[in-house]
Amino acid sequence: MINSVRNTVLSILNKNNYGYISPSDFNLFAKQAQMDIFEDYFYQYNYQINKENARQSGTGFADIKKQYEEVIDTFSLTNFLYHSNSNRFFVPNQLTTGDDYFLLNKVLVYTRLLASGTNNVLGVGTLQDTTTDFQSAGVQVGDIVGNTTTNKTAYVSNVTTTILTLVSIDGTSANIFTALNNGYVIYDDGVVTEAEKVTHSKITMLNNSILTAPSTMFPAYTQESTILSIFPVSINTVGAVQCQYIRYPKDPKWTYVNLFGGEPSFDQSQPDYQDFELPLEDEPTLILKILQYAGMSIREISAVQFAQATEQKNDMDEK
Amino acid sequence: MAYLTTYQYYENDGNLPLDANWGSYQYVSLQDIVNNFMLMYAGNHSLVNNEERYKILFHAKRAIQELNYDAFKEIKILELSVCDTLRYVLPHDYVNWVRISMYKDGILRPLTENIQTNWSKAYLQDNDCRILFDQDKNILEPKYSGIDYDRITGSKKSIYLNQGSPFNGMEGYYYDGLWYFDYEIGARFGLNTETANFNPTFKIDKKAGVINFSSGMSGQLCILEYVSDGMEGGDNSLITVNKLFEDYMYAYIEYSILNSKLGVQEYIINRARKRKGSLLRNAKIRLSNIHPGRLLMNMRGKDKWLK
Repeated sequence: MINSVRNTVLSILNKNNYGYISPSDFNLFAKQAQMDIFEDYFYQYNYQINKENARQSGTGFADIKKQYEEVIDTFSLTNFLYHSNSNRFFVPNQLTTGDDYFLLNKVLVYTRLLASGTNNVLGVGTLQDTTTDFQSAGVQVGDIVGNTTTNKTAYVSNVTTTILTLVSIDGTSANIFTALNNGYVIYDDGVVTEAEKVTHSKITMLNNSILTAPSTMFPAYTQESTILSIFPVSINTVGAVQCQYIRYPKDPKWTYVNLFGGEPSFDQSQPDYQDFELPLEDEPTLILKILQYAGMSIREISAVQFAQATEQKNDMDEK
Repeated sequence: MAYLTTYQYYENDGNLPLDANWGSYQYVSLQDIVNNFMLMYAGNHSLVNNEERYKILFHAKRAIQELNYDAFKEIKILELSVCDTLRYVLPHDYVNWVRISMYKDGILRPLTENIQTNWSKAYLQDNDCRILFDQDKNILEPKYSGIDYDRITGSKKSIYLNQGSPFNGMEGYYYDGLWYFDYEIGARFGLNTETANFNPTFKIDKKAGVINFSSGMSGQLCILEYVSDGMEGGDNSLITVNKLFEDYMYAYIEYSILNSKLGVQEYIINRARKRKGSLLRNAKIRLSNIHPGRLLMNMRGKDKWLK
């Protein structure tokens, strides 16, 4: 989609041959435009819910809220959070989960610890501990294994007395124990509860409340900087806390090969190529938004005005 | 939570204790109540929206506490031996008592609450009745007050017709076919039925957390029937609600939230209040379990002739 967007923008701008914008400028504008639209999805989603409450929305093909949900869900990820110390965990970020989050939608806590210890035999894609009987401990396929030394997690795909075979969420072999004497914890995947976000102004009182203090049945969390603190404080190991969140869209990048006849030629085989992550229906909006930035860039006010007017009209039509 | 299999119900899957799940089907757990409410009664298109879960949990627990005080009829019973201190320490989850009995000779004898006090705090005093303090200006107290000492040593008299009664053990004499007693003239005109009970009596010192008995209770077994608040010592996993009250629980939570929320129309609050009230009535009627088979034996009592 990114090449089509760029071509359209250039076509509109290309009055008197002074409407050219460089690939790097285009990438900057594209990133801004995508972020604008991405954020707008949440406002639109809320607007549609309000319309539903006012009985001004339909079902089936007229269920606009569902469309918004589907787009937002394409940015949804579920990952285990890395443990920092005590009851503190890192929020999703590039270093831990590999992506930055826009919104923490749900924090899940696994509360039933089946076994813990250290591995004493190495094997690719396995956890081996000859001092523990995994079967007697109740470990089953699907349970969660956390490496407390490296903060990595995996799922159990096969159980024997002293060997667990591990896989990632996508079913591929997970080699999270690559050294001896790494600590591990195993949680029952069937005993899970949702932690509730609590503001800092309330958490102290909540912890002191005899009726509503956070418990393993009703855990709570607060957030500070890049750290998420889970209560009760007994929730304090990797593998215990999982997060479903909405990540930011990846920065779009229109990649090209060396100039050909004075024009960069689009090449999507470049390793840093990144298309827009928004659905095709957003192509006109992307074009109009980029056009506004590009119009400002080349001081072509009529291009900006055209894009603004068209975008406003589209918005009105979609209300 | 999934339904239990019959093996899980009767044998707890072979785990100890085997009776862990017996009778569990009568109840719904606190976790289910909160979860179901959040799922079914809270959300974008519901009356309750954007409320924190801990508020739902709070109102759910408050409802359970209130129900435990009377509507549930979940009576807890604890048997303890009363030694010569004549004291029964209240259970850790005690809120109020229902009945206190002495178990003796295979019979449960309901005890009467003493209409007078049988315990007191005391301060040490000098000959001029001035209260005594120690060097740190703390008031000095005896181990037992006079009334406590007399009660524990068995020398306190009782207005009840038990072994502490002033007339207990008084000897009479039989002459010419009649019994005669050395009562003072005018001292006893008739029976005060309020205190006409042979069993030991008790009085509860709520703040001290003990039941104080009269001396006749020494060495006896005491059975306390009491109500708790259903909080199970703070273990959320053990808190349950009878299924007959499940719908009432949701109605109570919904009403409590709406009632304390700004900007909710009065007619909506009233609707929620009425729903809550009627569901409580329904649940109470169901729980009372009135049916002919149960009434039969009670009704047979009407045939007894009073003499």
